[in-house]
Order: sequence, then C-alpha cells, then structure tokens
Amino acid sequence: MAEAVAPQVFTRRASGLVRVMSPYSAFIYNILTMGVIFPWTYLWAPTAFQGSNLVLGIVFAFVFELPIALAYAWLATALPRSGGDYVFQSRVFGGGFGFTVVFAFFVVWILQWVALSGWLLAALGIAPTFLGLGVTTNIHAFTTIGTWAATSNGIIIISLANAAIALVLLVSGFRNYVRFQYVMWYAILLSFGIVLLLFLTTNPAAFHTKINSFAGAIDGVKNFFGQAKAAAAAGGVNFNPPFFLFGTLMVAPIAWTSLQWATYSVEQGGEIKNAHVFRNQLFIIVGSLAATAGLLVLLAVAMNHGIGGDGIRVASSGYWYANGKALIGGGYMFPNLIAMGLTSSPIIVAIIGVGFILNSFQIVCNCYIGCTRIMVAQGLDGLLPDWFSRVSARWKTPVNAHVAYFVAAIPVIFGFNKIGDWSTKWALGITFANGAVMTLSALAAALLPYRAKKLYEASPGAKYRFGKTPMVTIFGTLGFLFGAFMVGAFLFVKGLGLAYTASAFPYVIVIGTAVFGLIVYFIMKQVKASKGIKVEYAFAEIPPE
Amino acid sequence: MGLFGKQGSPKGEPTRLFYACDIHGSEPTYRKFLNAAKFYDVDSLVFGGDLMGKLLVPIVRDVDGGWRAGLHGQKHHLTTPEELAEFKKRLDTLGFYWFECDPDVYHWYEGHQDRIDQKFDELAKARLGEWVELAEERLAGTHVRVYLCGGNDDTDEVLTALDDAQDRVVNCENRIVPIDDEHVLVTVGYSTPTPWETPRERTDEEIGEVIGKLLAEVSDPSKAVFNFHCPPLDSSLDTCLKLDASVWPPTPVIENGQPVYYGAGSQAVGDALDAYQPTVGLHGHIHESRGATKFGRTPAFNPGSEYGEGVLRGLIVAVRGGEVVGHQFTSG
Repeated sequence: MAEAVAPQVFTRRASGLVRVMSPYSAFIYNILTMGVIFPWTYLWAPTAFQGSNLVLGIVFAFVFELPIALAYAWLATALPRSGGDYVFQSRVFGGGFGFTVVFAFFVVWILQWVALSGWLLAALGIAPTFLGLGVTTNIHAFTTIGTWAATSNGIIIISLANAAIALVLLVSGFRNYVRFQYVMWYAILLSFGIVLLLFLTTNPAAFHTKINSFAGAIDGVKNFFGQAKAAAAAGGVNFNPPFFLFGTLMVAPIAWTSLQWATYSVEQGGEIKNAHVFRNQLFIIVGSLAATAGLLVLLAVAMNHGIGGDGIRVASSGYWYANGKALIGGGYMFPNLIAMGLTSSPIIVAIIGVGFILNSFQIVCNCYIGCTRIMVAQGLDGLLPDWFSRVSARWKTPVNAHVAYFVAAIPVIFGFNKIGDWSTKWALGITFANGAVMTLSALAAALLPYRAKKLYEASPGAKYRFGKTPMVTIFGTLGFLFGAFMVGAFLFVKGLGLAYTASAFPYVIVIGTAVFGLIVYFIMKQVKASKGIKVEYAFAEIPPE
Repeated sequence: MGLFGKQGSPKGEPTRLFYACDIHGSEPTYRKFLNAAKFYDVDSLVFGGDLMGKLLVPIVRDVDGGWRAGLHGQKHHLTTPEELAEFKKRLDTLGFYWFECDPDVYHWYEGHQDRIDQKFDELAKARLGEWVELAEERLAGTHVRVYLCGGNDDTDEVLTALDDAQDRVVNCENRIVPIDDEHVLVTVGYSTPTPWETPRERTDEEIGEVIGKLLAEVSDPSKAVFNFHCPPLDSSLDTCLKLDASVWPPTPVIENGQPVYYGAGSQAVGDALDAYQPTVGLHGHIHESRGATKFGRTPAFNPGSEYGEGVLRGLIVAVRGGEVVGHQFTSG
C-alpha cells in the first residue's frame, strides 16, 4: 500500500450515444411553456377570490409544485426517454393505466391548448399590438387589423395559421425549432422586462389618466377607468376586501396552471443532452420553476405598484365578472395590454407585442412537441397504430404524428371559437385533466422504488435517501398530495374548473375522454392479440433472476 | 413437429423471435435477455451485436483500508465491504468492468492504452464466457436457442468466447443458421466506419461483399431473417448526431449554432434489404434511433438500447411463411 490516489475510469474506443437539446435549451423551453407573459392568475384570481393575496398565492403554488418538480427530476433521470409522463406511468402502473391517462388527459386535452394558443396569439398578441400601434401612430388601418384579430373569424384564421406554421417548423427538424426558440426567448425576455419597467415607473394616478386616454382612442369611451370600476362594483366586486386566507390558497391552483408546466420537458427526455444527470434535471425542471415563479411574483409586485389593487381588480372584473366596461378593444386587460396603454411609443408597443406573439407561437409548438413524442412512444409500444410512430427518413421527425395532431386540432379550433358555450362546457376540464397527469406522475415517482425496483436502483437518484426511505418516495408522496389538493380544487371549487357551471356536462366530457382512451387501448390490445402479440409486453419488466 | 418445435408454415403457429442488441456488458440486461424467452414466450432469442462494455473502473485499495474509485465524474470513497459490494453491483448494471488493485498497479495501467485494452479484453472475454455458460444452464431442457454475435464494438479476441457454445447457444457470427423449419438467420456484425474507430468497422463495399457471400448460400432469401448490426443508411433507424472525429472524444458538429443530425447506417445493408426482400431486417448500433421502417415488403426494426439504465429494449417478431405477422417493441 502506498499513497491515496484519485483513480479515473479507463476507456476504450467504443461508440457512444449523444443527444441534441442542451439542458439550457430545455430550461428555456419549460419557462416558455409556463407562459410567463400569459399570467391568468392576475385576471382570474383577484375577483374570483376577493381578498386573496396574489403574491402569497403564487408562492403557495411554487411550494406545492416544488415536490412535484423534484419527483419529476428523479423520474427524468431514471427514464430519460421521449414520451415522459406516458413512459413513467406505464412503467409504474402498467400500460392500460399509463396509456389511458396520458392519451386522454394530455394528448386529447392538449388539443384545447392548440386552440387556446391561437386565441392567445390573436386576442392577446396581434389584436392589442395593432390596437396599440393604432393609438400611438394614429394609423387607422392598425386599429382595424387589431379589431379584426379579436373577432371569431379572425381568431380562427390566425389559429389555423399558427398551427400550420408550427407544423411546418417542427416537421422540418427539431433543431430548427431549438434554433428559433432562442429568438423567442430573448424577444420574450425583452418584452417581459419592458412590461415590468412600465409598471414600476408609473403609479395608480398616472395609470388612470393614461388608460383613459388609451381606451378612449380605441373605443371612443370617456373616463374608461371610472366607468369600468363603477360597473365592477355594481357587479359585486369589493374594492376594499379583507384578507381572505382560503381565497389565497385557491390562487395556488390558478397559478399552478402556469407553474405545473415546469415538468413538460420530460416529454422529449430522449432528446436532451445528459438527461440522466441529476443536476441537469434539477436545473431544467426545478430551476425553470423557481425562475418562473420569481418572474410571476415580480410582475404581481410591479402591477400592484403601477396600477394598484383597484386597477388589478378592474382588469380582473372584465374576465371573471364579464364586465364589458373593463374591456379595451373587446379584449381583456392582460398585463401586456395595460402596459401598452402606459406608453406613447410605437416601438415599445411593437416590442411588447412581438414578445406576446412569439410566446403564443411557442405554446402551440410545445403542444405539438410534447404530444407527438407521446404518440410516437405509444405507437412504438403498439398502443397506437405503427403509422404514428414512423419517423421520416428525410426530415428525421415524426411527420405522421405531427400531421395527425394538426388535423385533430382543426375541429377543436372551430369549436373553441364558434360554439358559444365551448369554454364553459367542453373546455372546462382542461385544468383538471392536465393537472391529473402530473399528479399521477408524482405518485408514480413515489412508487418507483417499489414498482420498478431494478430500474430505480440503476438510476442516479437511488443514492438519495432519508433514513431508509428513498427521497423520491417522500417528494413523490408530497407532490401527489399537493397535486391532489389542486386537482381536487379544479373538480369541486366553483371558482375553478369543472364546478363553474354547476352542470354535469363538463364532468361527462372528462369521463368521456378517459373512456375514449380506454376504448383505444382495448381495441389496440385486441388487434395485437390477433397477431399473436401481447401489448402488456411493452411495459412489463423482466426479472433478471 | 419440426426440429425446433415450431412449424413456421403458412398455416401453422408463427415462430416468435425476441431480438435485442447493444447491451454493452450490462449484467442485469443480459440476464433479462435470457429470461425474455420464458417471459415473452418466444421460440428464439436473437442478439444483434455489441456485447462488450465500454468502461473499466479500477477500484484502488486505499491506505486507510477502504477503496477509492471514479464514476460519472464523481469520486467514490468506499469504507465498508457492503459499500464496495453495492458499488460493484452498480458497475455490473451499468455494463462497466472493474478490478481491485493497489495504487502501484493502478499507476502501471494509467496512461498505457495498450495495457488497458488488454485488460478490457481479459475481463470482457471472461464475462462473455460466463454469459455463454449461463445461457446453456438457463435454457437447458427448453426448445429455445439463443443466437449470439458481435457488433462493431466487440473485439475478435473477446468473441472467441462464443466458440464455447454447445447446445442452446448458437454462435451466429457471419453465418447462416436455421431458426425453424423454413426460416434462416443471416448475421453480419460489422458497422460502417464511425468517429470512434471501433474494432470491427468495415467499408460499405466490404460489408456488401460479406452480405453477398452469405446470401449466395441462401436458397430462398424471402425466408431469411437479416440480423445485421448496422442499420440501413438514411432509413430513420440510423439517425444520430454528426461527430467531429478530429478530436478525442469526438464532439458534435455544430452548424449555425445547432448540432447536425445524419444517417450513420450502411448503404450496402439498405441495398441488400431492397434487393433480397427478406422476411425482416433486425438492426441495432444506433441506440437513440429506435423505430421501424419498410423496404418494399420487408419491415426493418431497430429496438434501440438503454442498457445503462438496466433496461432491456427489445422486439418480439412473429414470422410465418416468410412474412412478419406481428411485432411488438418491448422495454423490460
């Protein structure tokens, strides 16, 4: 024996696996997917739960999402594969369960997001940008375009174009998307920074004057803010509400509709470089969660400083109380529209608008990216026809899955914009459905060491324990409980999701999609069985001994 | 009843094959491969090459009585025999070879690639020998045979361990062997040149010649199962990042700020699938390019590989009368 050495591994010349998306790109992807510049929280929570504290609610959402995000970091390193949630759940719970839940509640329900992202692009990106440009340049054509973009036909055409352009970009190669994502990232950061700056450099009194002038130029209305506030008060908005703790807790599920997407990069885990490295997944998932929560808090603080509690409540009343007096150019007072009203510079308006337009476009891209990866994984497992899993030799992308998803989105886009009660009947389940997938994946993480023992033992996270209990089980259990709380809120709280109309219809739609998923599963199972193949083989772990 | 217990005729039960490849020394993955016969109820186990592991971990005895080793860029200081056993088990799962040594032995190897390569061959050959024995033992008394061959990452020296095959194990390297009464397995383990300059690379022309020679002995190529380690060129089964071979280790080629993808397969393999229209093409080599495609009537598959996670990725193929009647990717 001699001195202590720090031995290195020896290697030989052997081929190796290399992946494409850098952890930084995946980090950006998650932040953009969380849609930091579409914070529904500010429009929804202040009047749905009067007296709630926005900042505290966002912090609650962060705290509730944190164990879910940590649990995902374990799953993503143990199973760094494309099709993330489907792979996790099918591995731990079995193929029938994993397929049904992820196909029904992600692949089917995210079609609503394709339609919604088109609406975001039209109503929150193009419409306010052109309205703002119309006001700041006095060019009427801009106002006309902005007004058209907010009509149902305008939204449908813009939504179809949005989905078609995303289809072409993604089919042409994932690397092209990754490259364009940097453009979107910096444009969105700039846009968000300017919005923050505008809020931080104004005060409520100045806001009243400027927003009156802005709305007057667009709609010809006088004393816009005073009228909107009066209408909100008449509609039931309390402008001096006492602090409401339960309401603040209920802000968390709303903020969670943004923050829950911190885990979405797992759907393309097979394409992320060094996806099996623990610190990379912590950076990608937990890092993006913390960064987005921080930005949301910052925006809440800035808005409170710039437009005050009254301004926030008036903006919210336009959405939650359908207060028509609180709309500008027919659109809700999202932070970007308010910020545009605070400036007289068309350049600033254009910069803000481009950020929102690009983030809307990114959202439709991430719908395609995540869901087509899931469809490819399900196709390879034999639970969807092989056609879905084919990767084009020319483009090296799953072209068939992309085209299928585009075609499936078309009727949803029309329904979303042409059926009057679509959002209160057909689309209400989306917050529940998407949240349920993530909550069940947290449970899958908790059970991973017991239901997929060998897989877990080979994973880098296996060395982290609290006493004898695997850390992933602790975080997964906490995540499942927190997720169940929020998903339960979407199910039963009137101000959130399914209980909004007190009708059974939205529940039937959710159950219907689950039944649809089950039917697809059993049909594919029978088709495979007729060829002498059991689909269960796709998930069952072979005992090594 | 035919020699292998299955008819494989147009009217009979299909012959069910389980195919996997690129397990790179992973002990649990190989054990899963053997158990796949019973688990998936198949008639044959076909391996598509790349048996050897890629890393060798020296576990150096420490002055304080413990052990030190490196893994995944982290330093490990093992203080108890239990920790040591757990660490070795993890290395086996990952497909890494290991040996215990004193610091002076470690220094003897350090920086001497020829000595390291020799140690690799020694340990890999021993492990492959154990694997052949294990297969004979586990499949004894069944009708199942396991067909083993090398890939581009395996050295010829290590593959000599396959010569010890007796009853249940078939060394199918560069051979034509029957898998039922009417289908034959044609195996070629070479790949086209890679940036890694691995031991068994051949030019496309050389691979074409090897395939041509083998197929000359096959009376009905439509009833041949091609077990070619290298996938066909630009087929979607061979997509990977383009690497710059002028540096070591090779690094991704970046153009306009983005890595470049390309097809790393073999034109000769694609030409053979087109020309001979076999029953099926089974391929591996590119771990990240799991998928299926078609060459005329012939389906071709690459099940991919995740041996490092202890996961056995594979493919069940049911063949009858020179056709694939069903297939299923697996992830066990």
